[in-house]
Amino acid sequence: MLAFRFLRALTLVHRTTPNSSNAARSRRIQRAAFASMAYSAGPRRAWSRALLCRFHFHRARRRCAGRSRTAGVPRRPSTTGSPADGLRRLVPGGTEMDYCSLLEETADYIRCLSKQVKLMQSIVDSVGPGGR
Amino acid sequence: MQPSSREMQGMAGSMNGGISRSSAVAQIALRELQNGHGGQQIPNSVPQASFDHGASGHDDFLDQMLSSLPSSWAELGNLKTPWDPPEAGQRLFSAGLAGESSPEEPSAAAAEGMRYPLYDESSLLANRLRQHQISGGSSPNGKGMMVHLDHQSQQQMLLPSLGRSPVASGDSGLLPLPLTLGTGGYDVDAPFKSLNPTGGEGLFNGLGGPLQRAQSAFGHPQGGASMPSQNFTAAAGAAAGGVGQAASASASASASAGGGTGPPRQKVRARRGQATDPHSIAERLRRERIADRMKALQELVPNANKTDKASMLDEIIDYVKFLQLQVKVLSMSRLGGAAAVAPLVADISSEGQGGAGSGGANSSGDSLTVTEHQVAKLMEEDMGSAMQYLQGKGLCLMPISLASAISTATACPPRPPSSSSLSSAGAGHLGHGILPGGLHPPNLTGDAPASPGVSALTAQSAMANGGAEAAKEAVTVSKA
Repeated sequence: MLAFRFLRALTLVHRTTPNSSNAARSRRIQRAAFASMAYSAGPRRAWSRALLCRFHFHRARRRCAGRSRTAGVPRRPSTTGSPADGLRRLVPGGTEMDYCSLLEETADYIRCLSKQVKLMQSIVDSVGPGGR
Repeated sequence: MQPSSREMQGMAGSMNGGISRSSAVAQIALRELQNGHGGQQIPNSVPQASFDHGASGHDDFLDQMLSSLPSSWAELGNLKTPWDPPEAGQRLFSAGLAGESSPEEPSAAAAEGMRYPLYDESSLLANRLRQHQISGGSSPNGKGMMVHLDHQSQQQMLLPSLGRSPVASGDSGLLPLPLTLGTGGYDVDAPFKSLNPTGGEGLFNGLGGPLQRAQSAFGHPQGGASMPSQNFTAAAGAAAGGVGQAASASASASASAGGGTGPPRQKVRARRGQATDPHSIAERLRRERIADRMKALQELVPNANKTDKASMLDEIIDYVKFLQLQVKVLSMSRLGGAAAVAPLVADISSEGQGGAGSGGANSSGDSLTVTEHQVAKLMEEDMGSAMQYLQGKGLCLMPISLASAISTATACPPRPPSSSSLSSAGAGHLGHGILPGGLHPPNLTGDAPASPGVSALTAQSAMANGGAEAAKEAVTVSKA
């Protein structure tokens, strides 16, 4: 499912921005990768919700519906001694989860990320050395 | 863990510099990450090394501790009276801090020796705690040790040592903290620096403070905060007298501070925790869940041989950063001529306008969607199998520009191009024109192209110059 979405997103990227600079295009591709990851993961995951919210926010320039804010989990300010701070910053939506669910989301996020990386790598490989 | 963050930053900087090489860079990054952490463990201060490689460095650490003790005792002798806990505690911990922040062995060993002034019991206990923390298994011995420390008449242990180690009470209470905070790493310094207890009460408060932070170092946000205070109150209720309070507080501190992942600590709490039952049960459940999740994460992350919770967290963080970096690098590598393979739903519908192929295209539209899904799924696992699947269906993989060229070129029947042009065009494309039974575009012979029932997965290519010829070839292919 991930490949399907990602390939479609990639098509869109290449179709809509044929003349943009390389950097912008790579950013778009990266965003497409993350978006397809989030879509395929589904809304039942906190990190995918946070990612989708972020993309909608950026695209539509409107505040996300506050779904990710009112997660129901009391927002605890990160104490200085917490080693999970780095993880919270890395995983999308990680700042508002308790430690337990943060670990779970991290596991799922890592799984999806590795699938995405494998997919992209295989695509690049199949293109071959002439892919530049 | 300052070196680790610096190392990551340095590596990230080098990564940004050399980002043009995609996979090699990413591999180097991973290797550097692994080396950085592997190599970092070794020069790290002794306490951390001993915490991380508990079983192996066990005896060595003990020997080192005991051998370094005479030197540390000299320093301790300079300290003031036993009941000057605040200053002595501060000095102890500043020394401990110095030992922790500087990776040099002598100072670290001395600090470590200072942290564990000659308590045979407590050093044994510390070692056992570490062992259990690392192994994660429960042991009645550990429990026994703790209980021993707890219920034994503390005066016997503490008072003789009180004369020798001035910060005995504060020490015993704060002893286990370095144990955990040594594993906690960089975030340890802040709580210790702020430790400033004033007198006995202040000592408990000070104990509660760093304990809270130490517990949060293991990620126990709210329950952890309540635990030490409850343990303290329980200890206060149970014991009689200042020393007894200090001792039981220290034992409970050791129980709660070490309760990160060790079942023996949970068992100790279960034994002593009659006064704090519901909280202890909730804490235990919570810790079990955390331990389960950590185990699942350990399986996901490569190089997960770290038995220490904090270093495992670091490893996880690094791995997530590495994966995100890989995504970034891969997206950069596919600029320009890079091909994007995408399902051609729209093109198929547009191509379905062709005469003879319309019925075929439309009827096969549904199956095509299914096929696309199938191929996409296969692509996730293995590109080769996806290609084989395509071949089996008699489909081809072609650049998107070709597909658009095909749809525009349906009106005029194109002439069969030479194989050489196709091969030159296909060099820069994802131009796998696949015949049933045949693989290479140059093998094709030209035929009159029929309607482009070119189903498929097409790809976009930058080299559109050969697109027209290749398109005709591809059309030919699909029809054939």
